[in-house]
Amino acid sequence: MCRNGPDPDCGKKSSAPFAALLEDSVEELYENAPCGYLSTLMDGTIAKINATLLDWIGLEADAVVGRMHFTDLLTVGGKLYHETHFAPLLQMRGEISGIALEIKQAGGGRIPVLVSSVVKHGGNGEPLLIRTTVFDARDRRAYEQELLRARRAAEQAHKQAEADRARLQDALAVLQQSLLPATLPSVPGMEAAAHYRTASPDRLGGDFYDLFAIAGDRFAFFLGDVCGKGPQAAAVTSLIRYTLRAAALHDPDPVAALKTLNHVLHERYTGDDPRYCTTIFGTLEPHPTTGEATVRIASGGHPPALVLRADYLPTPGGLLVGVLPTAPFTAATTTLGPGDALVLYTDGLTEARTGEDRTSLYGDEALLEFASSHAGKSAPSVIRALTDLLDDLGDGLDDDTALLALGVPASPPPTRRNA
Amino acid sequence: MDIERRNNVTVTGNPRGRAVVLAHGFGCDQNMWRLTVPALAEDYRVVLFDYVGAGRSDLSAFSESRYASLDGYARDVVEVCEALDLRDAVFVGHSVSAMIGVLAAGTAPERIGALVMVAPSPRYIDDASYRGGFSAEDIDELLESLESNYLGWSAAMAPVIMGNADRPELGEELTNSFCATDPDMARVFARTTFLSDSRDDLKAVTVPTLILECTQDVIAPREVGAFVHQMIAGSELVTLDATGHCPHLSAPEATNGAITDFLARLR
Amino acid sequence: MNPMRITTRDAATGPVLGIFGDLDYTTVGELRERLTALTLRPGQRLVLDLAGMTFCDSSGITALIAARNHADAFHADIALAAVPANTLRVLRMVGLDQIFPLHPDSDAATRP
Repeated sequence: MCRNGPDPDCGKKSSAPFAALLEDSVEELYENAPCGYLSTLMDGTIAKINATLLDWIGLEADAVVGRMHFTDLLTVGGKLYHETHFAPLLQMRGEISGIALEIKQAGGGRIPVLVSSVVKHGGNGEPLLIRTTVFDARDRRAYEQELLRARRAAEQAHKQAEADRARLQDALAVLQQSLLPATLPSVPGMEAAAHYRTASPDRLGGDFYDLFAIAGDRFAFFLGDVCGKGPQAAAVTSLIRYTLRAAALHDPDPVAALKTLNHVLHERYTGDDPRYCTTIFGTLEPHPTTGEATVRIASGGHPPALVLRADYLPTPGGLLVGVLPTAPFTAATTTLGPGDALVLYTDGLTEARTGEDRTSLYGDEALLEFASSHAGKSAPSVIRALTDLLDDLGDGLDDDTALLALGVPASPPPTRRNA
Repeated sequence: MDIERRNNVTVTGNPRGRAVVLAHGFGCDQNMWRLTVPALAEDYRVVLFDYVGAGRSDLSAFSESRYASLDGYARDVVEVCEALDLRDAVFVGHSVSAMIGVLAAGTAPERIGALVMVAPSPRYIDDASYRGGFSAEDIDELLESLESNYLGWSAAMAPVIMGNADRPELGEELTNSFCATDPDMARVFARTTFLSDSRDDLKAVTVPTLILECTQDVIAPREVGAFVHQMIAGSELVTLDATGHCPHLSAPEATNGAITDFLARLR
Repeated sequence: MNPMRITTRDAATGPVLGIFGDLDYTTVGELRERLTALTLRPGQRLVLDLAGMTFCDSSGITALIAARNHADAFHADIALAAVPANTLRVLRMVGLDQIFPLHPDSDAATRP
């Protein structure tokens, strides 16, 4: 070996015995190297090719040298790639390395290879020929195929997961819709509007509301908030909705309806896993002659209803529904005149975080202020204004929010008579 | 929609000159024209762009159905012309783009007043007496190799790009974007390119047309150049003493000379 | 976010659970486990000392009700001591101030 000899002939002298020992030579190495060698003219005509590469492609030198072009060894994809990428880059840079191509075998087989080329220049810098090495890349290609398979499997799994998620969301949306009225019925001489939003699209909400006809010209309505979220809360909501609807038909007195609900909830959910709700239940009795409407409500632990004249309709002392076998509920009555509206809401609104750092709560006073500035507005426009407010609160909304407004128009809407 | 952003439109050259639109072929992008632009810049307003799915185009604008036919790519061309309000422009298309130019000139004759077709081919697959240069099996294999190897076309370029650090004259931008093509979108473009048959569209060409072919081109053999020449009445055919499918890169001087000569005679 | 901690001591009236930190959806399980393991004698008073409680959401309120039901099952009483103002506001709103005897501090709550 010759690690640090200053003699320029050192390599020649000392390696000769080793070469002899191995019965190797430069010519022998060229022909039978573990890679293919190829020299082409600048137009691509093959001028020289080694035995290794001839063996791979399964042809004799006579059939190749001077007769074939480098691109003739390539598959169609390789030809195209050679023409659009390989050759232009080689011309631009004088060399190119590690390009993945496939060469064709005489028997029709294909060998994946890695190709590197260098342009040899003459004394005046003019390009003379292209020297190319070709490495067998079968193992590497097999590995790449494996990676590719894994990647496709991952993509497939991802797509499946996305589809499952979308299906689940659809199912949740259908369930959520079943807990709320699709549309509000029209109440003669009055306007009604509602809004509902969940804090998170993939979680079932625990707020609820409804408005429906009971007997004669009377209507019942309720709005509330179940403790907790998700499927368990939705199950409770469903029970509440159908219990209150049935109770209202049986006895429209608001306190009686809440007592029935309380009994049902307390009997169904007891012990260490209590389920309860806050709710306001009410009845609505429009007077066709005066244009006014009598509202009777009862509250079980729910934030007070708002009357846009503008004040709260206090219902203190009503207890959460479902906590005790017998519970006190607080009733209140008011009359809505032209321009008045009753607004029910859940604490998603009053507990929304406001301010720069989202540490203050929207609160009861802000709501009262809102009410006084919107006194006299129609029920739909009040709901629109509150919806805009919720949009502004944006990520300050932690909780679901339900809103229901029932109002007597300031000027009565044109009445439609049936023929 | 911002067409100029969608198609990564670049406008250079002489703002008062006649517009010349340079359109790249399959598997490439507008950088393929970098040796052509300097020859045109002094006298012409040069417009470069990338088809959606290629180069630095807006990949989100890609639609498999739109680009499943050459008409979709022709719409790209017409929309670029409209966005720049080009009139009577010269459209220079390489390879499949030459045929896209034929379609665009047909739908927007007021926009495109002349065609330069560089190594065009209206049909790559042999068909009875027609010789396109590829058998149906060849094209199947090509499409299959693109299907099964989408590490391939893009990944194969990676070593080249990384090996470029010691060649600063090539420029960062060039190395980053040279023929960058999204593999999925390249598959759609390949299918459209190699399965289309636009031979009948050639007869409809009425604008002055220059056809450039190479003496030796494995993608578009000389029979194809002769066919295109025969089909387009009044067209000029110039055979460049060049090897390969990209004479604008392998023989830029001869290619540019033929183009500028043609443009000068258009006036 | 303040992590929750629960202390236990026995007063003459019965066990006193001190709740420190946030009582919310993420911590409420711990209080429930403590309660489940807690045995009371009839007539005893379970005192929840909330002087150190920094936050209480609706899950926390539910746990308080569960504590009441637990005491009720043993025929024992329950009382809340030192309820923070915010929580007191909520308790009043939902009427629970009628259910839970409220005391200013645990000393007052553990007087026989």
